Amino acid sequence: MTTAESTQPITALLDAETVLGIADQVWPSLVGDGEVFVPVPAPPPAETVSAWVDITGPWTGSVVLTCAPATAEALTASVLMTRPPVVVDDEDVEDALGELANVLGGNIKSVLPGESRLGLPKIGSAPSQGRLDDVCRVAGQWRGQFLTITVQGAADAPHAERNEVPL
Amino acid sequence: MKILVTDDSRVMRQIVIRTLRQAGFDDHDIIQAENGREAFEMVGAETPDLILSDWNMPEMTGIECLQALRAAGSQVPFGFVTSEGSPEMREKAANAGALFLIAKPFTEDTFKDALDGVLA
Repeated sequence: MTTAESTQPITALLDAETVLGIADQVWPSLVGDGEVFVPVPAPPPAETVSAWVDITGPWTGSVVLTCAPATAEALTASVLMTRPPVVVDDEDVEDALGELANVLGGNIKSVLPGESRLGLPKIGSAPSQGRLDDVCRVAGQWRGQFLTITVQGAADAPHAERNEVPL
Repeated sequence: MKILVTDDSRVMRQIVIRTLRQAGFDDHDIIQAENGREAFEMVGAETPDLILSDWNMPEMTGIECLQALRAAGSQVPFGFVTSEGSPEMREKAANAGALFLIAKPFTEDTFKDALDGVLA
């Protein structure tokens, strides 16, 4: 792989349709039968929580899942198939949201060129984004609630123009 | 038969166990480990008939666990259940002695296809 290829932005490597295709497999398998991620933007909530995994390789960045805390709890309850009065705790929410990000990230890593490494899931405030053209975001909703999947370059990822080897 | 499910995510262990039951493998004993090191240590004491393991885990990864087991002389059947199903990962898994690699997301049919021959 040449240096130019290795520093391509995510928009040159992946499109929203591919991300959506992966989400279409992940939702019924992990979230539950008949559950779907709908790629229709919903109004953003006042507060959000994110789970993400880092990908390090020819393309370096993160796959980030972002939703409202209440949506994260509902997702967790759905993943765990809990029914009231059982409530999910914070540890369950971190685990379930992180695992959703992990499976999305693992599948996205598989369609990227070259050999990459996948990090362990993290949860909190989404990491900073890098270049504006190094972002592939699928804004959507689950059960009518805001949820986005963002594949974003690392803030400190090398720029092609800085990384080229002089001839 | 005894199946050791290894994943650092409790949620994913629960999903794997649920899928095993949905796939019809509900009459087996299930034991759990949180990482490769714990799985490696449990093999001696618990003598599982099959290990289903995540790949990417803290402490010791799934592939490191498999390599350590084979280096220690254990031939316990081992399969991966992981979010990464690239041809390179599958080749690495097979070269290390894994019987199969189930990529997440999976269905009960994926489990049936992979496990029918192993748990028959």
